[in-house]
Amino acid sequence: MEDLLVRIICRLVVPFVQLYGLYVITHGHLSPGGGFAGGAIVGASMILFALAFNLEAGSRKLSHDISLLMESGGAIGFILAGFVAMLLGQNFLTNKAAGFPLGVPGNLFSSGAIFFFSVAIGFKVGSTMCTLFYNLIEGSDRHRSSE
Amino acid sequence: MEVNSLTAMAILVLASYIFFYLPASRLRGVLVLIMLGIIGYALVATVAEMPTFGASANPPHNEVYQRYLHQAVEDTGAINAIAAIITDYRAFDTLGEVTVLFTAIAAALSNLKAH
Repeated sequence: MEDLLVRIICRLVVPFVQLYGLYVITHGHLSPGGGFAGGAIVGASMILFALAFNLEAGSRKLSHDISLLMESGGAIGFILAGFVAMLLGQNFLTNKAAGFPLGVPGNLFSSGAIFFFSVAIGFKVGSTMCTLFYNLIEGSDRHRSSE
Repeated sequence: MEVNSLTAMAILVLASYIFFYLPASRLRGVLVLIMLGIIGYALVATVAEMPTFGASANPPHNEVYQRYLHQAVEDTGAINAIAAIITDYRAFDTLGEVTVLFTAIAAALSNLKAH
């Protein structure tokens, strides 16, 4: 699709969508939302970018390697944050009992491990959404060119 | 009328016999309609016996929700009780969800790349 208006408006809107997604991810323990919802917003912004421009432009913004890193890093980060609690002598994935500093309830950097869990889930969900979309589009392109 | 589990099993066995083994005919159509009516009646009767929505004697109103609502801030430091539940009290469940996502994307990519 070659539409100037759509491209200009997307270029304006996508940064704000991504900023809002990051806000929802990092404020998961304070307001409605969290890793899953914020990650979906970030992933949807990348899908919007690829829809308004094309797949090559989207792949330049978020390459396969970075996407792969975010994807595995999200899952491994979640598990590692759980193992930190085991290193501190508690059960897997414990928060307060393992001695994570809880901070003042209501502040951004509060609630210990929940913050890390939210960020890890957000990275994971966002990269999963746009990886799946990009690969589906690539597959259909390749399929069409081979016919 | 109370629908007990034995009746439900009998209905399911009869329905699967009719759906999968009878050849297509007018009789089969009529039987399928009758079975669908019985299954629908059983479902509606089950819904009609459910406890009143929001009644204080319902099973979910136990000490678990009181613990979550009253002690979440103290236990986890998160003022969003839902975040406290899904990433602290039930973090293992969320780990399973992340694993599901990872497995899904791995399976989808291995299928897409194979072609």
